[in-house]
Amino acid sequence: MAAREACVVCQIVGNNIPSKKIYEDEFAMAVLDVNGANPGHCFVMPKNHYPIIEQVPDAEIGRLFQVSNKISSAIFESLGVQGTNIFVANGVPAGQTVAHFTINIIPRKENDGINLQWQPKQLSEEEMSTVELKLKEQTKNVGYFQKEEKKPRVHAPKQKVISEEEEEYFTRQMRRLP
Amino acid sequence: MAEQNISQEQLRALQEKIKNMSPEELKEFQKKQCIFCQIVAGKVQSRKIYEDEKTIAILDINPSNPGHVLLLTKEHYSIMPQVPDDEVAHVFMVAKALSNSMLRSIDAQGTNIIAANGIAAGQRAQHFMVHIIPRKENDGINFVLPQKTMEQKEIEAVGNKLIAALGGAVAKEEEKSVIPFKLQEPEKKEAKGSIDLDNLSRILGVK
Repeated sequence: MAAREACVVCQIVGNNIPSKKIYEDEFAMAVLDVNGANPGHCFVMPKNHYPIIEQVPDAEIGRLFQVSNKISSAIFESLGVQGTNIFVANGVPAGQTVAHFTINIIPRKENDGINLQWQPKQLSEEEMSTVELKLKEQTKNVGYFQKEEKKPRVHAPKQKVISEEEEEYFTRQMRRLP
Repeated sequence: MAEQNISQEQLRALQEKIKNMSPEELKEFQKKQCIFCQIVAGKVQSRKIYEDEKTIAILDINPSNPGHVLLLTKEHYSIMPQVPDDEVAHVFMVAKALSNSMLRSIDAQGTNIIAANGIAAGQRAQHFMVHIIPRKENDGINFVLPQKTMEQKEIEAVGNKLIAALGGAVAKEEEKSVIPFKLQEPEKKEAKGSIDLDNLSRILGVK
């Protein structure tokens, strides 16, 4: 498990690196970021080593974000802030710095020096339609369209078969992480 | 909109009316005012890329990048703390699938998943949503997360406040499966909001 040994987050999960733990259960752990963007900035992470969100099983995703929401509420309640952000960076171009999926919970105040805004890009109708069609084509394969089913969806972790090609894609992406 | 031209007296009457509303009435009122509820209902046009029983995903008309998606709950929630646990889980499973779709269909090299609670966090609409943003190198988006160093004492103090607010201590080594707070049962309808409406309007900047 070379990846785990080299992974800072796994070292935190394994208690090899000291941290201020906020929450822990069988899947998830949350710690305070000691170099956070604001006091109270927390990380929520899966205990298992998953470099990017695509590899995290659905059931764990659900749990991790439920925990994130609880922490966000706790931040509102106890730190007297004006807002919170839930922020995930997936891949180096998106700003991911550690090869272990983490969710940032960031307490916010006005003029706190954090910028999660963007300049809107002007797209033509045609460009919008092209991107719409491409995405729609792909989301068809997601398998969430179960409208006929009456019973509520069971969020059991789906056994995901990662093809060799995909696996290679993920590893290639990860090699680019520092 | 008609509300723009109302007199002081009418405004006061309206405020009074809102004040006396039951939570159900208030939710209904908010729903009528909410552009995203109109989109969910199909009364306002949008470019829908995904839909299921609880969520709908549309293209942002002011995208940060081509393919910028807004994932909305069909139910009207102003901020994320109001969303019941089972819906939170579902929404982010869908967010994961959409992020995945972006990597596969529009050559995204990464994605950002962002939710904002409160104006200070960049929330603009009073309807909970998740932004899923496809990213490429040098795409002109610059999110800034400064690194502030905290004293050990401050870390302890802030951490302990959060642990207390979460309703319990961190599970000990030997009982790792202990959950310090209870997740709501899916069938429990009313979300036990720890944030009351006064608080909420402060967060959202509503007078």
